[in-house]
Amino acid sequence: MSSKEIIRVENLTVAFGSFKAVDGISFDVKRGEIFGFLGANGAGKTTTIRTICGLLNPSSGKVFVDGKDVSSDTTALKPHIGYMSQKFTLYKDLTIKENMEFAGALYNMKAADIKKKIKVLADFIKLEFDENSIVADLPGGVKQMVSLCATLLHEPDLVFLDEPTAGVSPQTRADFWGLIKDLSGRGTTVFVTTHYMDEASYCGRIVLMSAGKIVAVGTPEELVENNFPKPFAELVFKDARAVEKIKTEINASVFARAENYGAGLRAEIIDNGRFKIFSADNKNIFEIKTSAPTLEDVFLKLVS
Amino acid sequence: MKQFLTNVYAVALKEYKHIVRDPFTLAVALVMPLVFVFCFGFIIDLDYKHIKITVRDNDQSAESRRFLYMLSAGGYFDLTPVHSPLAADEDLYKNKFPGLMIIQKNFGKNIRAGDVQNPARVQLMADGADNARAGIILNYMTAVSQEAEKIFGSSPRFNADMVRTRFLFNPELNNRWFIVPALSTIIIALLSILLTALTVAKEWENGSMELLLSTPVRPYEIVAGKLAPYFGLSFFNILLIFILAVLVFKIPFNGSFILYLSACVIFIIGALALGILISIITRSQTAAIQFAFAIGMLPGFVFSGFIFPIENMPAFFRGLTFIFPQRWFLTISRSLFLSDASFSALAVPFICLTIFSCVMVLLSVKKFKKDVEP
Repeated sequence: MSSKEIIRVENLTVAFGSFKAVDGISFDVKRGEIFGFLGANGAGKTTTIRTICGLLNPSSGKVFVDGKDVSSDTTALKPHIGYMSQKFTLYKDLTIKENMEFAGALYNMKAADIKKKIKVLADFIKLEFDENSIVADLPGGVKQMVSLCATLLHEPDLVFLDEPTAGVSPQTRADFWGLIKDLSGRGTTVFVTTHYMDEASYCGRIVLMSAGKIVAVGTPEELVENNFPKPFAELVFKDARAVEKIKTEINASVFARAENYGAGLRAEIIDNGRFKIFSADNKNIFEIKTSAPTLEDVFLKLVS
Repeated sequence: MKQFLTNVYAVALKEYKHIVRDPFTLAVALVMPLVFVFCFGFIIDLDYKHIKITVRDNDQSAESRRFLYMLSAGGYFDLTPVHSPLAADEDLYKNKFPGLMIIQKNFGKNIRAGDVQNPARVQLMADGADNARAGIILNYMTAVSQEAEKIFGSSPRFNADMVRTRFLFNPELNNRWFIVPALSTIIIALLSILLTALTVAKEWENGSMELLLSTPVRPYEIVAGKLAPYFGLSFFNILLIFILAVLVFKIPFNGSFILYLSACVIFIIGALALGILISIITRSQTAAIQFAFAIGMLPGFVFSGFIFPIENMPAFFRGLTFIFPQRWFLTISRSLFLSDASFSALAVPFICLTIFSCVMVLLSVKKFKKDVEP
């Protein structure tokens, strides 16, 4: 298929009884991009992934992967996708190698190819452990890396990573995103979910989900730009008068929302002209600087 | 086909590694049959011997002494003579002995006379609180009385309604001969169901099922792959029990060994598939293990004929035994151990066992979910 979209989701609803885990969402994923799926726990991210993988049936709506309707034909689809679920799913009592060999065999790979591929992937993730180590003995971050390898073993065109960085150290998270970038560079489409907003900036495009619905789609820059055309002001209190002062200024014509931020406040500027005047007037009470809005701000604005 | 075999092999190899890496499961699987066989074979002896009986001989004749001698010679009864009616009553009352026998006056005289209207009388009172034991006392007593009839044989009454029971195949009515061949039924059913009941539930619980389902592997390949290593384990167990039965318990094996092995194969497959089915339905190890115990244990003891004879059951329960494979395998196992039953004699149990196993395999493949729908 030469079409630009590898996944197309049309008006998808997935209901469990009367509860709609996914409620009428539509989006598409372009070939080779890193597509981020963001939202709080329970927003419907995992349900969406499972439906695209053919593990759940849509209650209504359609899902196309590579132009084929998923609900009609999952067997043709399966060899081309790799799915790393949120839960750690390798067999803990088997070694790294045995887990890989098992995964490879199910994808009909030859033993020799599996062997080669394990070496390649071990280099890819810079594995410092022997491939004959029992998985249960590995540190959490390494387990997650090995899990990724098992997902990539059969060289899928489309990889689903469901919260791959949940519960791992910041260093491992950074490493992980490095790997995801690499993958995408090689032409693999990566569909990744996370609830860390800072990770979203690694994605080409993101979808923001809340309570089963999509609240925003676009590149991270677009989302920030569309929601916060103006920068934020960071106000650090110089003395106690500031507290009183800000109460009157907030919700007035200068700032919209404000929230506690370190030793001061972070507030959305409504009008640049008035902000300049405010800054000049209050130099003695506040230390004032501007900062760029982040995806975190977008998320808080759209979801809460 | 090649893909099928590769996938089954991959799943089987993985399961095999799980078994080998988990010494506890392996120990349970290998030690439990031994414990069962030795418990049932040696300790639990449903035969009562040396039952204490108080005897008051009111006749004190040559015939009455002869009769008492016969009673004690069998080894079933230990007789304690008492010499006053009061003492005899008291013993029974204080629950000292489970039985009291009183030989009536004129016992010897009446035997010698052989008069139908006026037979020799022995009164037996058994403690009904333990009705199993009371029943056994009566049975033994009947047997001894029949023996006595032969010896005192002149009586016309004895000859008229002589009841003779002959036990075929187990002339000594040796319980061990009955129990050990039947044990393989219980052990295999329980163990096979238990072992596989955990496997699928385990995959659901640790999330690997989701991964399996996202790969191209098909449900029947997973089922077949999971059956294979456990089949090996169960088959090993059945051979172990067979060897113990023949070598340690000296139970004769009269039937066809090939026939016995074929029955084992069919039975094991059915039991393993039932375990997998339980696992597929419950999806949780705790629930699966409870189910497996109930389904593996109860029918094996109650509905298989292991303890309670099927012929004596009420019609409803007798009908119920038809659906339990334990009933059929038990029949085959006992028949082949104690008689040289041919295949045609065992056709019905074989057919029923095969139907059961096929249904279990088909159901577990059919029920195996291809998705993670709750």
